Parts: sequence; structure tokens; C-alpha cells
Amino acid sequence: MSTIDRTKIAPFVLPLLLALLSLPVRGQADFAGQWVPLFHEDLPERLPGPELGDYMGFPLNDAGRLRGDSYDPDRISVVPEYQCRPHGGDYSMRGLANMRVDPIVDPVSQRLIAWHTRMNFQEMERTIWLDGRPHPNEMATYTFSGFSTGAWDRNVLNIYTTHLKESYLRRNGLPRSDKAIFTEHWVRHGNYLTVVTNILDPAFLTESFVRSQTWELDPRQRMGRDICEYGAEVPKPRADYVPAHFPGTNPFLHEVADEYGLPFAVVRGGAETTYPEYRKIMPKPEHPLEFCRLYCACGQDGSNTCLREPGKR
Amino acid sequence: MRKYLFAFLLAPALLHAQKSARESAPIDLTGNWVSIVTEDYRWRMVTPLKGDSASVPINAEGRKIVNAWDPAKDEAAGLQCKAYGAPALMRIPGRLRISWADANTLKIEADAGTQTRLLHFVSSTPGAASWQGFSLAKWEVPPGRLTRGGLGLAIEGTESKSLEVSTTQLRAGYLRKNGVPYSEKAALSEYFDLFKEPNGEEWLTVTTVVTDPIYLAVPFVTTTDFKRESDGSKFDPSPCSAR
Amino acid sequence: MRILLASVLLSAGLLYAQPSGSTQIQILPVQGNIYMITGAGGNITLQTGKEGVLLVDSGLAATQPQVLAEIRRLTNAPILYLINTHVHPDHVGGNEGFSGTRSTLAGDARNNARIEGDQALKIIGHENVLNRMTTPVGKETPPPQYGLPVDEYATPFKDLRFNGEGIVIYHEPKAHTDGDSIVFFRGSDVISTGDIFTPGRYPFIDIERGGSVNGEIDALDHLLDLTIPGKTQEGGTYIIPGHGRICDEADLVEFRDMVVIIRDRIQIMIKKGMALDQIQAARPTLDYDTEYVDANSFIKAGQFVEAIYKSLSGGK
Repeated sequence: MSTIDRTKIAPFVLPLLLALLSLPVRGQADFAGQWVPLFHEDLPERLPGPELGDYMGFPLNDAGRLRGDSYDPDRISVVPEYQCRPHGGDYSMRGLANMRVDPIVDPVSQRLIAWHTRMNFQEMERTIWLDGRPHPNEMATYTFSGFSTGAWDRNVLNIYTTHLKESYLRRNGLPRSDKAIFTEHWVRHGNYLTVVTNILDPAFLTESFVRSQTWELDPRQRMGRDICEYGAEVPKPRADYVPAHFPGTNPFLHEVADEYGLPFAVVRGGAETTYPEYRKIMPKPEHPLEFCRLYCACGQDGSNTCLREPGKR
Repeated sequence: MRKYLFAFLLAPALLHAQKSARESAPIDLTGNWVSIVTEDYRWRMVTPLKGDSASVPINAEGRKIVNAWDPAKDEAAGLQCKAYGAPALMRIPGRLRISWADANTLKIEADAGTQTRLLHFVSSTPGAASWQGFSLAKWEVPPGRLTRGGLGLAIEGTESKSLEVSTTQLRAGYLRKNGVPYSEKAALSEYFDLFKEPNGEEWLTVTTVVTDPIYLAVPFVTTTDFKRESDGSKFDPSPCSAR
Repeated sequence: MRILLASVLLSAGLLYAQPSGSTQIQILPVQGNIYMITGAGGNITLQTGKEGVLLVDSGLAATQPQVLAEIRRLTNAPILYLINTHVHPDHVGGNEGFSGTRSTLAGDARNNARIEGDQALKIIGHENVLNRMTTPVGKETPPPQYGLPVDEYATPFKDLRFNGEGIVIYHEPKAHTDGDSIVFFRGSDVISTGDIFTPGRYPFIDIERGGSVNGEIDALDHLLDLTIPGKTQEGGTYIIPGHGRICDEADLVEFRDMVVIIRDRIQIMIKKGMALDQIQAARPTLDYDTEYVDANSFIKAGQFVEAIYKSLSGGK
């Protein structure tokens, strides 16, 4: 048996061992802090609010479209149970509200076992469990935030949420059912937090509905209370009145196409309309426009001010 | 003893220097991608109306440019590709074909405007300003540092699977087709992230941060999502258009 | 970490893969003294405490032994009250089995309720439930002789106190049937609704047994009057529906709104002079079918539409 000359290989063994041991074995990122949503995308729809009948970009099926067409926003005031309804956990991530993220650390092991989020709109809270606990029984109660578990893939936190109550995809009546599966991916780059959301809803969508939004860290942010109490402000013509448009009678559905010079077919949504090749078959607008009339300078100078009056900021 | 010390200091560098960007890639961005337009729809799928800069944090100077947009003038001046520069290209609905041009250069071909971006992992002298500028890429190094505790063998740290790209040397262009401007002083930072969904779909999200001391009041941040396609049969190059 | 994610996703996938109405009997805690028992046909409510056990509904006859076995894993306390929310066999089928858990009370032919100690099992229901259980319709099998709700009531409500809390049984006239009761556990802040409320499926408006859509809506509105949500409009008063998961007011209002909106649509169509087949063709439930109908649904869209049509028009 030949003798290995240790004097020749020794200089390389120790550094090689240290180099191998220097490979990280866990992936995590720090999401703790105060986060401000950036509205550099879809500002008019996210802050002032979406137009009635605006379904652009949604892979809707006929049921989802009809539900939107039937929606009467009076419902929020007339039906008192809706007045203080919070956003669903999925819609909250569209970034309407500011967010605080706190770590939950096991007091004994000192391991991070969950992230806790608080949105300042309606004081919505959510816990994203990282300790591998199972999701609740399918017959257990559903909540607006749902039940979330997360798993790290290096610097990305993949989150899976079930048990979401019925809610909406957009605040103009586009529904999201309680059958939906909601996944998120959180990734932090410097002081930016990018959250990619994916909703698969077999009741109202024909394809995955993926959106992404960015938050910026702002240690100066301090969230206060947002307490809601309902009040009967609009009289109901009868006790069992629920405002809704009879199919085919909603008079507002053409407004968004007309106000922005868009083809009506485009604002009706549908998966086909979200692919680049749709532009080849997109019809011409029924009422074309040349100049912007509404929300034209929203977001100027980085402000979230967004006024509807034409010609004004 | 000196040779031991030398080897100790050199070994990690030698170990990592041997790997090219392609070899050390933590994610595989190559393949075919299609943008799915679920956000900013009326600013992306159609040419926005003149004067519409909603959501973009431009300043008063930028608003003047927006209100003065004239596509005919751009066509006459041969500036049809002004809205296809790197700060805006990812936002235009279309398809991407990503491949390795060489071991240290990632190539992104976009069928919108028939544009090509080269992301260089090894620094070189940038050329003249262009629509796509000069892009320097790296596999992101996340914050935090390697720490060793106790007897020196406890290991803690983070690992990233993101691509970070910085782009300079940009010609003045448009952030949107309707003339929302960025200047020649603009700089671009991007992060490319890959996600897998429970239904098997793979998505690429590009976080784009545009800074421009001339026309932007604050950095302009957008995120654009692409779905992986199994082949490139739908990749359909089209020329730039000023309208 | 990849294994964890895979297991989370797989288990979540299994959750969605499970058919509704799993035959496995499960007991889930709700709030206070209250549990929900699933897998026995209709949901069963269980209240337990120092005084004994109270059940709301008894499920299917075939599952009664398993249900009793599961109850005995939770508590050995005697079952002293059984309240029936309505007459359907998936809610009263187990009555006979539960009434046979104690020794025979000689001489009582009408109710073979048995005794443990000195208190018999009391089976409570609206008198219309008793009447329908003892009067078969058409070719139905003869009524059971045992397990009848002979502690019937005929007033708008009946109340009792058990295990330290007040319990109110409200009659909801002409709703799902003409014998519906809801049971409000005031201390635990839980309501059992029977089949007036069935999240995830259209309600069965049983016209033949006196149900009506307007009565159904009135019952749902009454439930909304009773429920008080907690923070962020969820929790607070919990609801055990006739079928489906544990709910609260927010779930209930979505269901109520669905029934009202579809009722209103059909009402408009009737006023336009449309016949039932024309109304069916117009698909007034199109935007709700994907939520409320699946392969296992007891009530399909067409049946729901027909029931509303008959209820509003008096048509047969």
C-alpha cells in the first residue's frame, strides 16, 4: 500500500474543509418591520377604488363576470353586516393598507416559529406559521385572513393559505369564493419587499391569477387604531332588501370603456385578454379618445393623492 | 507555515473563482416566458391616452413631457424604440427567451420590439448609451453575514436565489408608450425571482426599480410577472412602434 | 424545508380532494360547552357539562351507533335532551337509537324513552315535526314508534336551562320546512340552524313539507338578528349549520344574500310572465352555481329554481 504524503496535501485540506463548511445550510430573510405599500401600479384602482364593470386583467369565467355585473355597491351600506367587513387575506396583500410584520419567537428554543402581520385597515391580523403545524380540519371555521403556513426556499418565503372566507378579488364586486387556493411568495431585496400572490379559484377564475406588489420599509411608520362600528344610515325599502342589479340591467358597465377610450370587450376580462397575442384581435374602442380625462396625474411626485376630477392632480 | 497560511487564504477564492455564472446559478431562468397582464392593464395592453401618467411618480418636469408627447415626431426622428428601453421593456406585453450567450452572460430576447438585453456577470467596458444600456448582473448576496459561534463550527446565514441586475448607459426613453419619460441619467436596478406554484406552473417576477434625478420624484418600482411556456413556438418578434 | 412545503401542500391538496360529507364521524369543538359532530348525515350539535349531554339532531339511523361511540370517547355523561331541528331523516334518523340507550320505561307506548337515574331522554321538536313523523306521505315507510319528539312545542319559542346556560328554541315558520327550529345556546354563543343554513349548497326548500322561500329568508334574517360577530366581523356567535363547516355571521350573510338575490330574480321573471321552463333556461343561478353546486350536491340549481318558483307562484 503506497504511503500518502501528507505534507503535500495538508496545505489544502484545512482550507477546503473550511470552504465547504462555509456553505450556508438555512435560507431565511428578515421581514420584520413597518412596511408601506407602493402604489406605482394600478394606483387609481387600488386607492380611490375600481370603476364598476372594470374587469381588466382578470381571468374570469361567466359566473364571475355575472356576479360583478350584478353587484350594486349600495350593498355595503344597506346590508349592515358588510359595513365593517375587512378585506380578505389575499386582497390585503394588494397593498391597500400599511403593514407591520412582527416575528413570533418560541420562548424556549428562540426559534422563529411564525410571522405575524397587522394591516391598519380594519386592524386585520394574520399569523404565518413556520413550525410545520397542519392546517385545520376542513369543517373548522373559515376566517377573512385564512390559515397560513410558510416554508423557506432560501431567501423566499412560500406561503400557503386555506380556510379563507368568501371575499372579493376587486372592490367592485368581483368575487373570490371560499374554494380558492391562495399562495404567496415573499422576497426581500434591500428595503423592498416583493409579494407575489397567486389565486386559483375554480368557482370564478379559469386560470391562475397572479399579481405582484411591492412594499417599502419605513421605520417611521406608526400604526394606530382603525375601529369600525356599523350604523343604519340608508333606509331599506323592506326588511329583506339586498341591492343588486338584475342580469342585463346594470347601467354602469360601459362607463369604464367610455371614460378611458377602451374597447368594451377588453374591460370584460377573461384569460384570453391577458396574453400578449390578444392585442392582435382586440377590437377597436366604441368611443375612442385621444386625451386622458381622469386620474391623469395620479401619483405625481410620489404622492398617493389621486383625484378623479379631470384636469386636476 | 507560510505555505499553509497562503493556501488557507487562497482556497475559498480558488474554489469560487472556478465557477462561472452559469455554473453557480441558484435558479434556472433559461427558457420561454410569457407576460400575463393582470396589472396596469390599460397602460400596458393598449397605448395609454396622451397625458396619462397615473401611478408613475414623475415630477412636474416629467408631466410637461407627458403632455407634449407626439408619436409622429418620434417616428420622423427614428425613435420608434423609445418605449422599448430596458426600464420599460419588461413591462411591455410579450414573450421572453432567456438563454446563456456564454458562461458569464445571460441573454434576454424580447419579441416586443425585437429587443435583446445582455446581462454581464463579468464587468467590462460599457459601450455608448443605448436603449438597453449596459447591464451588470450577479447572483444576489443577501444581507447578513456568516457568523461562527462557540467552537467555530456553528453556521448561520442566508442564501439567495435571486438575480440582481444594475443597468446604466441608457439612452433617454419612455417608461410607457405614451411618452412618460426617463432621462439619460436614469439608472435601473432589477431583481429576477423564480417561483413554483402548487399546480406546477413556474413564474418569473421581475422587480424593476428606476431612478431618475431629472424626471422621477422617487424611485419608480414595478413588478412584472411571466409564466413559463413549454416551448418558444409563440415567440413572435415585432418591430418597435411609436404608437 | 422542501419536504415541509411539500407536506403542507399535499395535505392541503388532500383537504380539497376529500368529498364533502365524509363518512368519518368527527367531533369538533366550537365554543363554550358546544361541539359539532359531522359525518352522520346532517350535522349534530352536542352540549356537554355537569348536568349531562344535550344533542341537537341525531343524524342518520345507520350512523347512530358510531356517533354514540364517538360521544362516549368525549364524555360518559347521560344524554338527557335531544332537540330536532326538522323532520328529515338525516337529522332525526338516529332518534330511535338514542332513545334506546337506557332501560325501558314500561307503560309508555308513545315514547319508548328510557331512564337513567330518574330523568328520561326528552326529545323536543316543533309539533309539525311530530305530526309529520307520525303521518307518512305517499309511499313513505310507516313512522317509527320510538324516538318521537313527544316533548313537542307549538309556540313561537321554547326555552330551557341546561349545563349552566339558557337555551332558546325558536320556531321558524315555513322556512326549509314548516317544522324548523333553531337552537340558540346563549351562554356558549352558538346557534344550531338545521337545514335553514347550509353553506356551500343551495338550501332545500321542501315545498311538500311546508317550506317556502320567503319563510327561509325570514329565518335567515332572524338568525342575522341573533348573531353578533367578534373583531373584524368574524367569530363571536358561531353557527352550526345543517351541513357544512362551522360558520359565523359573515358566512351567513353571504348565504342570505344569495337566497334573496336569486329569489328576487325569479320574482321579476314571474312578473314578466315567464313560465318555469323559460326561467330555468335563463339560468338565474348562473353566478352562484360554481359555489353552491358540485357533483355531490343534494340540491341542484334546477331544483332550487323550481322550489322558489313554486313557492312564489303557488305552482305545482
